[in-house]
Amino acid sequence: MSFKRFNKQNFIVDSANKFTAGKMSKRDFLKKMGVAGVGFSAYSAGMLGGNGRPFFGNMAHAADSETPAEVADFLREAGKPFAGTTIRYTSEATPPTNVLNELKAEFTELTGINVEIEIVPLEQVLAKATQDVQGQLGTYDIYYLDQAWTSTFSPDTFDPVEYYESKPDLAMPGFDFDDFSKPLVEGICEYDGKWIGLPFDIPIFTLMYRKDILEKHGIEVPRTYEDFTKAVEMITAAEKENNVFGTGLQAKSGHYSLECDWTQAVWGHGGSIFGKDKNFSGNDEAGIAGLEWYQNLLKNAPAASVTSTWDGQWQMGASGQIALCQSWAEFFPGWNADDSEVKGLWEMAKPLEGSATLRSRDDVGFGEIPGWGHQGGSSIALSRYSKNPDAAWLFLQWACSKDVMTRCTLIGGFAPMRNSSFTDPRIVERKGLEGAGTTRHLDTVKWTIDNVMASEPDLAIWAGVANNEIPTELGKLLTGQDYDGSAKKCMDQVAKLVDAVVDEADLG
Amino acid sequence: MSKRALLPRWLTSEHPLPWLFPVTSLLIVFGLYPVLYSLWLSFYKRNPATRKEKFMPSWNWEKLISDERVWDAVQITFTYALLALAIQLILGLSIALLLDTDKKGFGVLRALMTLPLVVPPAVTGMMFLLMYDSSFGVISNSLYALNLLSPTAPILGTGSTALLGVIIADVWQWTPFMVLIMLAGLRALPKEPFEAASIDGATGFQSFIFLTLPMMSKIIALAVLIRGIDLFRIYDYVKVMTDSGPGTATETLTAYAGTVYFKSANFPYASTVALATLILVLVTASIFIKVFKVRF
Repeated sequence: MSFKRFNKQNFIVDSANKFTAGKMSKRDFLKKMGVAGVGFSAYSAGMLGGNGRPFFGNMAHAADSETPAEVADFLREAGKPFAGTTIRYTSEATPPTNVLNELKAEFTELTGINVEIEIVPLEQVLAKATQDVQGQLGTYDIYYLDQAWTSTFSPDTFDPVEYYESKPDLAMPGFDFDDFSKPLVEGICEYDGKWIGLPFDIPIFTLMYRKDILEKHGIEVPRTYEDFTKAVEMITAAEKENNVFGTGLQAKSGHYSLECDWTQAVWGHGGSIFGKDKNFSGNDEAGIAGLEWYQNLLKNAPAASVTSTWDGQWQMGASGQIALCQSWAEFFPGWNADDSEVKGLWEMAKPLEGSATLRSRDDVGFGEIPGWGHQGGSSIALSRYSKNPDAAWLFLQWACSKDVMTRCTLIGGFAPMRNSSFTDPRIVERKGLEGAGTTRHLDTVKWTIDNVMASEPDLAIWAGVANNEIPTELGKLLTGQDYDGSAKKCMDQVAKLVDAVVDEADLG
Repeated sequence: MSKRALLPRWLTSEHPLPWLFPVTSLLIVFGLYPVLYSLWLSFYKRNPATRKEKFMPSWNWEKLISDERVWDAVQITFTYALLALAIQLILGLSIALLLDTDKKGFGVLRALMTLPLVVPPAVTGMMFLLMYDSSFGVISNSLYALNLLSPTAPILGTGSTALLGVIIADVWQWTPFMVLIMLAGLRALPKEPFEAASIDGATGFQSFIFLTLPMMSKIIALAVLIRGIDLFRIYDYVKVMTDSGPGTATETLTAYAGTVYFKSANFPYASTVALATLILVLVTASIFIKVFKVRF
């Protein structure tokens, strides 16, 4: 029996259906569930909101190369005073963190510095970092910071550019800050003229589609929101009987993933989160149009969308349950991995364009950047409260060095932070691959980053608002708990709540 | 000189204070201090942007009163606690009556009953989360097959069913606790009144209503009190299974305190919500103790 992912899920579903229909004894059912046990638990991790974003990279590539000689010599020398030191960092299970966790032994071998990486769900990363900075505990030497938290934690980290200049003995040769993608620096880790960390991860919204399903129904690759809606509705109507839906969403109530989907919809319809007057503007005409579009999309998505975060949405794509998806580009390598049933069937295109003009950056508040492609990047930052900042700084430089970042992309398939990685021969030569390690999507990702990348506002209370007020009220609307299906009523309430929080923080 | 004389004076004291000191210290450090600290914190207004705190004693308490989400959470907490308690009490007493026998094999059954209690609540939550899954969950699929549920309305993703879904997990895990307490009570009951009633021609149901229940009332009241307090501070199942959602359909007071603390980093207000929960539990428990004359 093939126990590849797709088969595994079908196997579980079929067995459950047979059991409930009385066509299978309880003993046989339990036996089959036992056989499926390993895959079952792996699948469950995703369904639980899990430890992080899905990662199906190829760790075998981890040993393909090693730290370049010049960097290795520097680390051996600079690391000597810190041999035996242990540095800690907590992170979500993002693809780069997973890869780094595999590669960290290489750093320890060179410097003698031990690295403990604590991997927990995103909301716990926030909770732990919050506790740490509140008490200035220094439990963690390095913070993993989502772009939504940049301004929140800006007082708690060292500016890496300044640190590099102030500590020449610890400055890695050829580190090259200018090589980092400018839009990523601006969107992910810059706040008030300061770098709060180094760009580390760039999940960004692009359009992904099943070319076989689109061809089957004679549908062109959608370019606009209108095209997308038509295609999604047509596919759902034609394929629902086969348990295939037009799209799938990460609409779990109260979760940041729902807020990400919502912002993409609002920007895509010419709206913004905040207006120039720093008041919430998701309840204006464009904002309502965006939310109503999203409500309609939910009718053409699997029911599990309302209980799914990014893990669940990834599972929908990997199991062949959806045909179109505007979401995180880093899903793509996994959907095309060697053990995927839909390997080679997913393609990537530029994010959808709205019929309305994008709202200008001059017309929005708090440094928000409206665009067609929502970015959910993150940085890794050196804690001001670290007890071993110099040792941690060495690790940070190594982790974000040209070679390690390129290797992270080779192993994990996600987009690199450095411009040089995109043109690295090792990346270029994998563009022809269909399976694991493919880089054929990276040109589209780079285009999206350079041209239409959207970023959420920079305000110190954003982490709370994006994880609490907005997705909670959206959840009430989408699951029918409140607002009688009225997007306007919901957004008016969100406006009331968000504006109150902004006022309370004296930011209005 | 006797051995006793060699020991430090405090170690030979017959006064209870030295012996109470260790546990009292622990209670003060881990029980009283956090409560007092929370109370102190609740008197400050925190600016989440600047992280500055200003002494404004009534700010958080006024906010608490006017916060609609708190009142929704109070209602959900009561619904959750009362419903779960009623089901667990009825099931617990019924199962205990069935297991209250010396027949062969029932000892093993009684031991097996305790198994759910050793599973961590978070794991129980995950287990039920999987069983409720709309794609492969055995519970969801069974309900779909019986036409009792629509596949378009996931149990935990629908406002009207999510709370019940969480309660069922709680009932699965904690009914055995009720069974154990009830069994202990049943097995301690004197046999004579039942023999007399039997001779007088009382039916089993009559014996249950007029003998078992009155004689078990103290035990039942104690079990209800212990479980009730536990249920009011429910957190694990809600966090793991629904994270208070959909919307706020399963948001209990403790879950809301957690959200304010961990997501919004408003520690003073989170402390205020947590203290409100404590006050609610204390008041409810005191009324219960008074009304049902619970004696320890």
